[in-house]
Amino acid sequence: MNTSSYQSEFEKLLTRDYFSTKFNSQRKNAFEQFLKKNLSKKSWDDFRFTNFSALKKNVFRISEISDAPNKNFKYPEPFTGDNYKIVFNNGHYQKHLTTLPKGVEIFKNLEYYNDPKNKVAQSAASPFDLLNTAFMDSGMSLVVENNIKIKSPILLVFINAGKDQLMISPRIHIDIGKSSSVSLVEHHIGFGNGNFSNSTTILSLKENSHCKHIRLQKDSDQAINSGNIHLKQEKYSKYYLSHFGFGSSLGSVGVNSDLNGQGAECHLSGLCLTKNHQHLDTHILINHKSPNCMSSQNFKTVLKDYSSGVFNGKVIVHKDAQKTDSSQSNKNILLSKNARMNSNPRLVINADDVKCSHGSSTGEIDQDALFYLRSRGIDYKTAKSILIHGFISEIFESLENPKIVNIIKSDFDKWIED
Amino acid sequence: MLEIKNLHAKVENKFILNGINLNIKPGEIHAIMGKNGSGKSTLSNIITGKDGYEITQGDIKYKNESITEWNPEKRSLHGIFMSFQYPVVMPGVNNTYFLKAALNAKRKYNGQKELDAARFLKIIKEKLQDLKMDSSYLQRAVNDGFSGGEKKRNEILQMLTLEPSLSILDETDSGLDIDALKIISDGVNRYKSPDRSFLIITHYQRLLEYIEPDIVHVLIDGEIVKSGDKKLALKLEEKGYGWLEK
Repeated sequence: MNTSSYQSEFEKLLTRDYFSTKFNSQRKNAFEQFLKKNLSKKSWDDFRFTNFSALKKNVFRISEISDAPNKNFKYPEPFTGDNYKIVFNNGHYQKHLTTLPKGVEIFKNLEYYNDPKNKVAQSAASPFDLLNTAFMDSGMSLVVENNIKIKSPILLVFINAGKDQLMISPRIHIDIGKSSSVSLVEHHIGFGNGNFSNSTTILSLKENSHCKHIRLQKDSDQAINSGNIHLKQEKYSKYYLSHFGFGSSLGSVGVNSDLNGQGAECHLSGLCLTKNHQHLDTHILINHKSPNCMSSQNFKTVLKDYSSGVFNGKVIVHKDAQKTDSSQSNKNILLSKNARMNSNPRLVINADDVKCSHGSSTGEIDQDALFYLRSRGIDYKTAKSILIHGFISEIFESLENPKIVNIIKSDFDKWIED
Repeated sequence: MLEIKNLHAKVENKFILNGINLNIKPGEIHAIMGKNGSGKSTLSNIITGKDGYEITQGDIKYKNESITEWNPEKRSLHGIFMSFQYPVVMPGVNNTYFLKAALNAKRKYNGQKELDAARFLKIIKEKLQDLKMDSSYLQRAVNDGFSGGEKKRNEILQMLTLEPSLSILDETDSGLDIDALKIISDGVNRYKSPDRSFLIITHYQRLLEYIEPDIVHVLIDGEIVKSGDKKLALKLEEKGYGWLEK
């Protein structure tokens, strides 16, 4: 692998005075691990079916202050209407566009880390995690006080629109206080050249808090987009993720959840639609560390053309996590003989009183169902669309925001027409 | 309406139909009876255009046009309908959406205006009542979690909605209790008219007590070995198929 471009960018970053030197040791540590492990399949077993060539071949440049958008940048209208929002452009926080509800405070990470109990997370779960720690920008922390209920979603918009191929490495902390509830919509959009957007979101859910999180990845066709989500859940907290992977040439979402307090729940679902030579990954790790916790995974992919995908789902039930209730399902449809899916659901159980299920299926579209629809006068193309829509609908029909459902439906229509 | 001449067909190099001749005139009800494996379902699948069958000889004409090259949707749009022996379950596909798409495909093909949701519901609710179906059917996914009887009623609902000229009922009576059989038969009998024809495929004479056929055919090894009036069905019920086998 050609790591020299990462090396020179890393050295450049260390010299820039707008990045604090406070985290240089963490950065160096992560970058050394990245160099050591390389992007080789041997070091990254979960990524052995992932094509890293775009990461290896392309030369990315760090996003600098000069890459902040000029004042005339025309922002797309936030699709959810007048909700609360936080906007990042090429990784630069756009303070003037921010609107937040009462009870939510926003800090720079530097301020956030002033509190000694807030440590810099240094996950080594994936090469993306290591690169984020090495290259993280000044970042952002959202702190929701205790007992705050926010009904309207907070929109986090990530716009990647650099002229050069930028490496954008946001690091976001979201701390949700006791008995508070928040709804987040993370929206990734890209224009222009193939950027490498590699965001890490660290969510801390305090006792009895609730978080609904939608992640809509619609980065540009040439982009690389990775989202690394790390969850720390205290007792009786509930987290729901709906991930939609539509964009980018190489996309990856990783969720690492620690169910630390009893009765915590983590429910993850996702849908990926792929085409051309696109490759989209989903990597899930759920650690059941306490008793009476619940987790579920429901992920679907529909693949066209020469595209490919990976699902790695792992649940580890630790020895004290009795009465764990965990389910895992991954279903995929291949619409082309040249499309490929690798599905790998795994369970590691170290407790004896648990309820765990897992299942995976990958196949072509149901020919009998197709004939049934056509025998009712519905043409082949429409019949296919109806069946795939039926297959994926459970992933988005539970979403509460009709505007988001409409966006997803229209993206689906465009994808199927292509 | 339907004219089948010397039809030979095979599946994966195995001949299933060995020279079928059948002529159904407008307004007629024909029944085909036969044991498992006699070729009954193959015949109905071939008429509706399912993939996987190769016609090696003969022809199928519908309203005087050869249809063997037509795709399934074209056959449907021209008025051929089959009530499936095993209706397909389609999780996530809403029944109303499916029925409306099918009806509007037909209306569009016939140059009629497509129906909006309100007008469609009005039409469909009348037909539901005819079949004693609860309107909650419409909210469910197509055949998902339906009982055997509900699935068959859903097939007849589609027939009544699409108003075909030729309806093939493929073992519609199998798995039905007597009440469901009556409801379905009543639906079919009300739908009968001088310009609509039926082909009823069945193992048993039971359904033919409710839907009276004009002609009964016996299918053995892919050939029609005997045809007669409804008394033939009673004779088969009494004597079985043995006396007709070679």
